[in-house]
Amino acid sequence: MSGRPSHSALGLSSAVLLAAAALALVDRHAARPWRARIPALRKPTLRGKVTDATAAVRAARRMNRAAGLLAGSVLADSAVEHYRGSFHNKAMIAPLASAIFSLAVSAHGNADKRPVAHRARDVVYSGAFFTGLLGAGFHLFNVSKRPGGFCWQNLFYGAPLLAPAALILSGATGFLSERVRDTLPGRSPTIAGIPAGRAVAAATALGLIGTMGEAGLLHFRGAYHNPFMYAPVSIPPVAAVLIGHAALGRARERRWVTRLFLRLSAAMGFAGVGFHIFGVARNMGGWRNWSQNLLNGPPIPAPPSFTGLALAGLAALGLMEDHPDD
Amino acid sequence: MSTRDEARAAPRAINGRAPDVFRRGEWVPMREHAEEEEVDFVVVGTGAGGAPLIARLAESGFSVVGMDAGPYFRPLEDFASDEREQEQLYWLDERICDGANPIVMGGKNSGQAVGGSTVHFAMVSLRFRPEWFKSRSALGYGADWPLDWREMWGYYQIAEQALSISGPVRYPWGPRRPRYPYRAHELNGAAELLARGAEALGMKWTATPLATVSAPHGRSPPCVYRGFCRFGCSTNAKQSQLVTFIPRALAAGAEIRDLAMVGRIEVGANGRVSGVHYHRDGRWRFQKARNVVVAGYAIETPRLLLASATDRYRQGLANSSGLVGKNLMTQSNQAVFGRMAQEVRWYKGPPSLAITEHWNYEDRKEFFGGYCWMAQGPLPVEWVTIQTSSRGLWGQALRDAMEHYIHQVGLKMVGEMLPDERNRVTLADEKDQYGLPIARITYSWGENDKALIQHALGQMQMSLEAVGATDIFRQEDDTNHLAGTARMGSDPSSSVVNADCRTWDIPNLWVCDGSVFPTTGGVNPSLTITSIALRTADRICALAARGEL
Ligand SMILES: Cc1cc2nc3c(=O)[nH]c(=O)nc-3n(C[C@H](O)[C@H](O)[C@H](O)COP(=O)(O)OP(=O)(O)OC[C@H]3O[C@@H](n4cnc5c(N)ncnc54)[C@H](O)[C@@H]3O)c2cc1C
Ligand code: SF4
Repeated sequence: MSGRPSHSALGLSSAVLLAAAALALVDRHAARPWRARIPALRKPTLRGKVTDATAAVRAARRMNRAAGLLAGSVLADSAVEHYRGSFHNKAMIAPLASAIFSLAVSAHGNADKRPVAHRARDVVYSGAFFTGLLGAGFHLFNVSKRPGGFCWQNLFYGAPLLAPAALILSGATGFLSERVRDTLPGRSPTIAGIPAGRAVAAATALGLIGTMGEAGLLHFRGAYHNPFMYAPVSIPPVAAVLIGHAALGRARERRWVTRLFLRLSAAMGFAGVGFHIFGVARNMGGWRNWSQNLLNGPPIPAPPSFTGLALAGLAALGLMEDHPDD
Repeated sequence: MSTRDEARAAPRAINGRAPDVFRRGEWVPMREHAEEEEVDFVVVGTGAGGAPLIARLAESGFSVVGMDAGPYFRPLEDFASDEREQEQLYWLDERICDGANPIVMGGKNSGQAVGGSTVHFAMVSLRFRPEWFKSRSALGYGADWPLDWREMWGYYQIAEQALSISGPVRYPWGPRRPRYPYRAHELNGAAELLARGAEALGMKWTATPLATVSAPHGRSPPCVYRGFCRFGCSTNAKQSQLVTFIPRALAAGAEIRDLAMVGRIEVGANGRVSGVHYHRDGRWRFQKARNVVVAGYAIETPRLLLASATDRYRQGLANSSGLVGKNLMTQSNQAVFGRMAQEVRWYKGPPSLAITEHWNYEDRKEFFGGYCWMAQGPLPVEWVTIQTSSRGLWGQALRDAMEHYIHQVGLKMVGEMLPDERNRVTLADEKDQYGLPIARITYSWGENDKALIQHALGQMQMSLEAVGATDIFRQEDDTNHLAGTARMGSDPSSSVVNADCRTWDIPNLWVCDGSVFPTTGGVNPSLTITSIALRTADRICALAARGEL
């Protein structure tokens, strides 16, 4: 077997690293009891003037757009990849259906300016979340039963372990957006008792790390043959650390560096499409042979996942600023 | 006339330009030398050994002319995905083969093209087991090489980089090696079955390191997995010498002469060689040279050395040891085939996508030498040939057997055969189309060779049985790669060249190809040939710097 990756828990360890780094940064506010030092763990207090009622809806709609972008990316990517796999398992239709619905309700949510959660959107977003989870399970099973098990060879060519995570993220972002929208006038949005901005920021950080893991794995498979292939493993981790720091840090900070890196990640997601279009051209026959090379070449719809996540991160920062809890 | 026939009809590398292998109908500039100009090096043969040497010498500032009897192909135009058509790409000139186990010459073992056999090779790019460089003292058989494996490890790395080898992240046998420049290819059905079989037998396996790219490289697109590798890769994914070292050589100022058959090496009054007589464009010509390197592979190299005999060197050039032509080795290439209930589609992708080197690194066995086996995917015509020759099928029985083509699975070995002076290349009395004496190739398997083959057949059969294959049968007779016939060593009485590939007898005559192998190991040879050539180039530069050329 061709060697097991020593860091097979890549995503997990990076997340731990991220948390540690964020904590270290937070440490600047020393000399307070540790629980009080992490604002996320403090009770949200409603200080200052009563907040703008439309702000929550504005943030929620931003998150709908992020969820939609992620769903769009999943739709296109899984359509191509599962078509390539000839839909040999009927369940391979599921992510397509789920992503289409997710896309539709995201559009609906974006158009909807009412400050109340919508039952159908909730159902669809939760569905996407669980479909993604199930998909991850299927992919895990697919890899495990190949000869060699969890070795590099199978991580490269087996069902991509982290790809279904984009659907999970789309569902999660959408579901959270409904919670944000559902805020009573004059109250700050919370999710499971945690200020919404912080919750979304944390989810964004984890999502960025996961997506970076996926891009990193596939770019490693491509031997980083083009230096630009390092971009998705250099910019998003910084953005992830910064937004992770925001999730745990003070709400009232300006955080223009965080915004900058999120915007860079968003732009990179779009630029990635261009690079992947170029990558397809480098296959035998180039675009003249599009029907084969779209399947063989780098996945054109994949990079905008970064854009979707970055948008969610920007929404989170907006929420935190609109509803400071410290 | 097809473009491929055109390549054979008249030289293409003329008038200061050579074919651009990456662009249809285009050319790249090429420096040319006059025949009366005494160039620093003439290299005879542009294959696994010749091409890297030509490139590195030119890059070091020497004037170099590389000659090859074969044509200068344009892969994008000349190579069709057609088994029968492409059979004509090999060295098919007449040879006389005898002995108890005559070697079948041609498609399995000799290319004839700019780029040599690597234009048609199966791209398997493996390193020797370190102990093989000291077979005699470390393992008790064959002969020691005058090379140190640690030094070779460095040259292997350079070769792997230059050929953009796609290999596994970690190679499971032998000392640590640096990461391959490209990642391994996806396994096909046949390779997966090798893996399952190996796991059932408790052996390690891995994706095979191959000289075809798994991601774009320069102007090479990634492999498209059509599986016509042995008939010339029409995409340039394959990193043959034709698309790697030869373009480098041209860019550095080397000249390549295609369709240039060298018939004789000229020796001056001082006992040193002074140039080569070669046949090109309908007539014999002479190129003056300060040094001649012979890189024609294990049959043509000794043939040329023997045919160049003079009054001074009556036994042939560089032959004071009497060893030129002796110790010819081939590698056992037997196979076991079976049939699966499910579809396998073994023809997809390069033929040898997975490998186990278990018996190269396991010494608890009753014979000397090692072997590996790889997944197989013969194309239909080759498969018919195996059915008729190994199973004797014909008529309706053959047709029925062919119906199962997409369910077939197979394992094929590459096994070490021991050097034996009785296995050799000599000159026959008959002459070829140039009036040159034809090579007579005498080969018989020894008892050790037979024991190794039987062991391998048994192991491969167990592996196929372990994955549930039925209708299992053995292909008992096949051999492939060649080596020996001008072995290197540290003693002039028991070898033809020294560690630098310089002949002991004539200081400006060199041999740099598979002929210099004292033993052949249990892996495919080309990466080792290329690594030795890269070392030889460095050694020549070092010797030149000291004024010892
Ligand atoms: C079908 C096939 C598959 C193979 N698969 C593999 C594989 O997967 N892995 C591997 O490691 N090896 C493989 N090999 C073997 C490998 O290709 C050879 O071992 C290697 O190329 C030999 O290198 P060389 O430089 O000694 O000779 P070659 O590469 O054969 O080059 C010799 C060249 O010299 C030329 N020549 C010879 N005599 C003269 C003369 N008198 N004048 C002018 N030119 C001359 C010939 O035309 C030829 O082009 C394969 C070989 C074949 C044929
Ligand atoms: S399978 Fe790959 S290496 Fe072989 S001929 Fe096709 S493209 Fe070339």
